[in-house]
Amino acid sequence: MAETTSTSTQTSWVAKDDTLRYELLENNGPKGAPEGDPIMSIRNLKVSFATEAGRVDAVRGVNFDLWRGRTLGIVGESGSGKSVTALSLIGLLDDNAHVTGSVKFDGEELVGKTDEEMAAFRGKSISMIFQDPLSALTPMFSIGDQLAETLLIHNPNMTNQQLHDRCIELLTMVGITNPEDRLDAYPHEFSGGMRQRVVIAIAIANDPDVIIADEPTTALDVTIQAQILDVLAVAQRETGAAVVLITHDLGVIAGTADDVLVMYAGRAVERASIDTIFDQPSHPYTMGLLGAVPKPHMAAEHRLVPIKGNPPSLAAIPKGCPFSPRCPMASGSCFEIEPTLDPFNAAEGHLVSCHKLATIRDRHLNFQDVYPELEPLPAKWAEVPRDQRPIVLEVKDLVKTFPVQGKGLIRRDKGTMTAVDHVSFKLHEGETLALVGESGSGKSTTLMQIMDLVKPESGSITVLGKDIATLKNNRERRELRRDLQVIFQDPMSSLDPRMPIYDVLAEPLRAQKWAPKDINKRIGELMHLVGINPDYVDRFPSQFSGGQRQRIAIARALATSPKILLLDEPIASLDVSIQAGIINLLEDLQVQLKISYLFVAHDLAVIRHISDSVAVMHLGKIVEQGDTEEVFTNPQDPYTQALLSAIPIPDPKIERTRERMVYQDGKLVSSSSLLSGHKG
Amino acid sequence: MARFVGYVVKRVLNYIVMIFVATSLTYFLASAFMSPRSNYESRTPRPPQESIEWALDAANLNDKTPIMERYQKWIGDILTKGDFGKTPTGASVNHEISSRIGASVQLMLLATIISIVVGVSLGVYTAQRQYQWQDRFWSGVASLFMVIPTVVLAILIVFFAIEVNTATGTRIFYVTGLSSYSGSNFFIGLLDFLQHILLPTIVLTIISAVGYHLGQRTYLLNEMHADYVRTARAKGLTKKQAIRKHALRASLIPTAVSVAFSIAGIFTGAVMTEKIFAIHGLGEYFINCINNNNIHGAVAVAAFSGACTLVGALLADLFAAALDPRIKMS
Repeated sequence: MAETTSTSTQTSWVAKDDTLRYELLENNGPKGAPEGDPIMSIRNLKVSFATEAGRVDAVRGVNFDLWRGRTLGIVGESGSGKSVTALSLIGLLDDNAHVTGSVKFDGEELVGKTDEEMAAFRGKSISMIFQDPLSALTPMFSIGDQLAETLLIHNPNMTNQQLHDRCIELLTMVGITNPEDRLDAYPHEFSGGMRQRVVIAIAIANDPDVIIADEPTTALDVTIQAQILDVLAVAQRETGAAVVLITHDLGVIAGTADDVLVMYAGRAVERASIDTIFDQPSHPYTMGLLGAVPKPHMAAEHRLVPIKGNPPSLAAIPKGCPFSPRCPMASGSCFEIEPTLDPFNAAEGHLVSCHKLATIRDRHLNFQDVYPELEPLPAKWAEVPRDQRPIVLEVKDLVKTFPVQGKGLIRRDKGTMTAVDHVSFKLHEGETLALVGESGSGKSTTLMQIMDLVKPESGSITVLGKDIATLKNNRERRELRRDLQVIFQDPMSSLDPRMPIYDVLAEPLRAQKWAPKDINKRIGELMHLVGINPDYVDRFPSQFSGGQRQRIAIARALATSPKILLLDEPIASLDVSIQAGIINLLEDLQVQLKISYLFVAHDLAVIRHISDSVAVMHLGKIVEQGDTEEVFTNPQDPYTQALLSAIPIPDPKIERTRERMVYQDGKLVSSSSLLSGHKG
Repeated sequence: MARFVGYVVKRVLNYIVMIFVATSLTYFLASAFMSPRSNYESRTPRPPQESIEWALDAANLNDKTPIMERYQKWIGDILTKGDFGKTPTGASVNHEISSRIGASVQLMLLATIISIVVGVSLGVYTAQRQYQWQDRFWSGVASLFMVIPTVVLAILIVFFAIEVNTATGTRIFYVTGLSSYSGSNFFIGLLDFLQHILLPTIVLTIISAVGYHLGQRTYLLNEMHADYVRTARAKGLTKKQAIRKHALRASLIPTAVSVAFSIAGIFTGAVMTEKIFAIHGLGEYFINCINNNNIHGAVAVAAFSGACTLVGALLADLFAAALDPRIKMS
């Protein structure tokens, strides 16, 4: 329970400025308006880094307050300054960071404190949860030692018995079963989700007043994400701490935050209560973010509307409003003067930083008005129903096993692990089939098996009517490969950085023995097809942004006019505002070229938007298969149900009332029943 | 524990097979290239043919005996009596080697310990001050010593020591051998030993400390920026504490591996340094063997070095397993 802070009897430290005044009005959320004094006050925070590319202004004047028991969500894309803001609250920025402004914790100024002075606050008053649980724990020390260290740093007089009891209590609180046995375990013996629970246990060990969670679930599977968010809620309830939740995922924000700060290019562009932000997003960027995201809980009706361009580089922030080069409404002063955060609705404390504020308010502009290019989905080759079209890829009873070896110095086979277990599906011409599943479900292995074009261990793969077991030599395999191309997740590493784009695109054509004259012509067509200026063919991949690189990867895959594209998480590594553009491109290409997509992804919202049919994989098996709408609206298998209930929905009102289901040993259990038992 | 012992036994058996094969190959190779007969034939006056044959037969080095026959006798003596054969002059290789191992250990032990301590400390010190003047200075010194060949460095140091001796008029530094005092006073003996060992130790320390310094610096820099160090700081450790308690241990794993191999190197000596300072250790012996067509001596040194290296490899695995819980001996 949140106890009232006894130390803050001296109320004088709180600056009664406009920032605080508007924040106190933010009442459009489940917890109403904040009350009492904030525990932390951030004013005019500026962080810059001296780098080889010059001075980088990562944070350019951010103001906010934190109250115990409330959660502030900071949303932004890469380079928005959200993580730097978080790290500057706890004093963990790199040495080359230059911080100015004021960060006050319970009246005490933290900016300018040395590392030694800040150490007294870290882990005790302010604690932090990091993004990647796999690397956040020291691999050489046991879980128990790492937890105990946290306690001992700030309570050196604790006895071993007290330490032991408190560690058990903490591990129980974050939902780790058999904590007694787990104390001596090492991090590598834990799964990612379990490790994140331990990281949360470390963060709440000393009953902090502020917990900063920097993308705490980004690296996790969707069902694990749901569990970790529940644990985070328990952590907040137990400590009564103020939580800063930093994320790019608006669904995560919807279910957890009370107040939201949207950041762009190092500044806040919009700030409001949670319900206000989702009901009435008023900065064109916020509108775009909400509109560009496919909705997991609604059938796709429209094409997604991408925000044009890319997030700005912090070393070269555009003049005027940093969003102006991407904003459909920008004109005149937008390109000259940077706007300030002004009240949009003074009664609700809703602030927006936009020159067009008055227009948006007076005309009640919403996403559709600002981004008018909303088009219906292109008709998908509607003349022939899907199931009557020819089958281009058929997988029957595919099995792939891996030998399991003992870890360590002597590797002994311990048996086999079945990664793909009798998987069967059919892909029709011009169809998009999505393989959905969490890490370890075998979806990527299935894709690799198809791509290898070698006879599977068991079962059969038939590509364009040819059983690949009958392929006699590499020449036949190469011919088939022309019709079967692949696109990988990370466009940064899937393109050779030392090859100009021309060679990247020419390579598959040369492998198919095209004449140089035809190659030239084809490359021009390809660049045009994926929307990149054909004059750029002599540039290197590093000169393009992530989204452009993925377009190049798509062009490379399309070079040989394939009939089937295998897509392995093609948009997972891209920023939210960029994803929409790639999804649209894929949809357009399918209509133009009548390609079939086999789409592997973990983002269910994207899958619902793009795919015609879905196969849900769990532990190597397909547990459910059918039309996308059918599976999403009426899931039959308990695992599918659990998976769908775990997706965070970018709508706070729906998100609050939803009951998450957890899949346990073939049954569905309500997630609240798993954690509520552990109280204090 | 039983599994651990089983593991070590299995490894040692593997190693014995490897050493057997390697040593046998070395034997055939050495027999093909070295000609002990020429030792006798080139003498003036040339000894009578019968006594040459007799001497070569006695040492089992006669190239007129079929190679397999010689090999059988040689390997048989090793396996049954632990006897590594005779030199062309008829002396026992076992005896020559055992007296020289002592000299090599005396020389290497001190230098190895000092170079590990100095190198690792410098690595930790400079890593924590990356790109500051201390780091730049010591990295510059390290690069300088890395490019100077051992022989040049040793001769330079000998040159300076002799200059100092001449300038002061007394013999402060000895530049050859390991001792020249033969009395019974322990302290004078110790002082005499230190006067001899100082210069070769400086040479050996410098050349191997450079490796430890640069290695440790890189390993620690890698670990210092790891996420778990940031977690440790977020718990309330200062940056220095977090590096000491968390990053240092991980960064010591690769260092421990090279330490394990150096322990093996203590017994095999240092070829160049022993030659220059006229220390009669195993390294010098190896060169002499090759020069003097001492087949059995050269093969014995090769076998001994191989054994030491494999013991080093085993130690390296044990060290790594002790430091890193992710590695399990099972």
